[in-house]
Amino acid sequence: MMADFLMGYSIQSWLESCPQGYLDGTDYGHQAGEKEPESLLDNETFREDAIRTTVQLIAGERAALAASSGLVNAAPDDPSKMFLATQTLDEARHVEIFTQRLYDLGVKKDELDSVISTYVNPNLVKFAEVLLEKVDKQDFIAGVVGQNIVLEGMAFSVFEMMHATNHTNNPKFAHTLSGTIADERRHVGFGENRIGSLIQAHPEKKEEIQKMQQEMTYHMLATFTDSFKTNEDIIEEVQAQTMNDSAPAVFHGVDLARADAREMEAVLANTVLGEFKTRLGRIGLEYLSPAA
Amino acid sequence: MGEFDPHNLSEEDFHAEVHSFQFWLEAVEGYLSGTDFGFEPTLTDQTFSARELNFLITTICNYCIAEKTALEASSGMIRFAPDPESAIFLSTQVVDEGRHLEVFVHRLKMLGVIDPWSEIKARANQSLLKFKDRLLELVDQQDWEAAIFAQNVILEAMEFTVFQSQQPTADPITRSILASIVKDERRHMGFGENDLGRKLVQAPHTRRRLDQISKELNPLVLATFTETASELGILHEDRELAISANYLATIKRLGFAV
Repeated sequence: MMADFLMGYSIQSWLESCPQGYLDGTDYGHQAGEKEPESLLDNETFREDAIRTTVQLIAGERAALAASSGLVNAAPDDPSKMFLATQTLDEARHVEIFTQRLYDLGVKKDELDSVISTYVNPNLVKFAEVLLEKVDKQDFIAGVVGQNIVLEGMAFSVFEMMHATNHTNNPKFAHTLSGTIADERRHVGFGENRIGSLIQAHPEKKEEIQKMQQEMTYHMLATFTDSFKTNEDIIEEVQAQTMNDSAPAVFHGVDLARADAREMEAVLANTVLGEFKTRLGRIGLEYLSPAA
Repeated sequence: MGEFDPHNLSEEDFHAEVHSFQFWLEAVEGYLSGTDFGFEPTLTDQTFSARELNFLITTICNYCIAEKTALEASSGMIRFAPDPESAIFLSTQVVDEGRHLEVFVHRLKMLGVIDPWSEIKARANQSLLKFKDRLLELVDQQDWEAAIFAQNVILEAMEFTVFQSQQPTADPITRSILASIVKDERRHMGFGENDLGRKLVQAPHTRRRLDQISKELNPLVLATFTETASELGILHEDRELAISANYLATIKRLGFAV
């Protein structure tokens, strides 16, 4: 029943599972006392790469914060409002912990805005703009598909990939990612469960929403291409330094500790697109390739 | 929080600290831990007379309207918050307001209300609805100072005054629910005062505009108190006067026109 399903997304359930559950005792999402590895902080190339990567995470989370808070008023029922209230705070927490990571990487507080505007990928900015246009129009169905299926689906796979890469070399960052992955799983679950019935009730919305997904997917893939191209040399340098002692970091069958940038981009893109197809199919939407 | 005292921080670090998710988490962990929809699960309900039950249901229905207003306003303000710290603070407020709404709706169900939202609509205070419309208009206009003033000073002061007034005489479950909500409201009012205090130092001319909004909204707040008392058909004039006086004193203490 819809009412029973929505009870699972109440603030009471959220309080018990999230702040009083897997976040209990954490410090900005990781275990107290954990630090970024010295090998990263002492190498200017690696440090800059970590800053660039973290900036993309902040940009994505800021978009998610604007979208989830902006959709509260558009929600057609109070349980959905409650869920979006918890998602708003989840996204704000993600903005905060990734911003804190920038500070841990040596970015000064008064440099934050300029560092973000220097490193943010313009394709990711466009990706967010497509979503926020729907939010501004208070289009709840398109907004939730864009936010909880497309954006969160992308974030989920990106975080899982980063977690696989970092879990032995950088436990602090891996732990930070673990909490966000748990949050994203809940958000994607809500999107799938709540939107299916609304799409059924409003079949006229399908075409417009699929077009939004197509546009967002285009900008997402362009972001991936840019990011892996920029990181090509750094990936090789990291692998050359750690080749003999690094444990396999397997993500969907690919050992990230040994894969080159193209293989990494391909496995990430294929994973995200596969997830999109499955999840969109579950809510009665067809995946549209950006190439179409 | 151990020996850590945020008041020892520099002004910039203090704002970053008290507006953070981390600070919220540590603040609410204490008083929400072990509660179930805002009260200790060991508490049981007292027997209410028909008049008492009617009074309580009407009161909580209007609390729901106020909290839903606060949820919609605080979530709507995040997009145009002037800095990331304010956006993060407002996000904690969004979940606080959502929680308040959820626990009050749950309380209505405990009191035997089968369809809470129909009941809320039927018992809605018209002055409060007018206040809601005006506040959400300010939010839609993306007018930060006016919206934060109407939401985190006027509305929060109204709720704070009413909840504090009801708390000592309320039944044990409602009293327990109100106790934690009052703590949240105190945090929200603190943010509003602090934010506007800094803005007024930088732009003193803002005060005149806020005073105008205060003068416009205060009558609606006072009318809300009067209308509720009159709808309930109760002779609580002393209490109504005390609530109004407390509310106006709070606004005056914050330095705004009444």
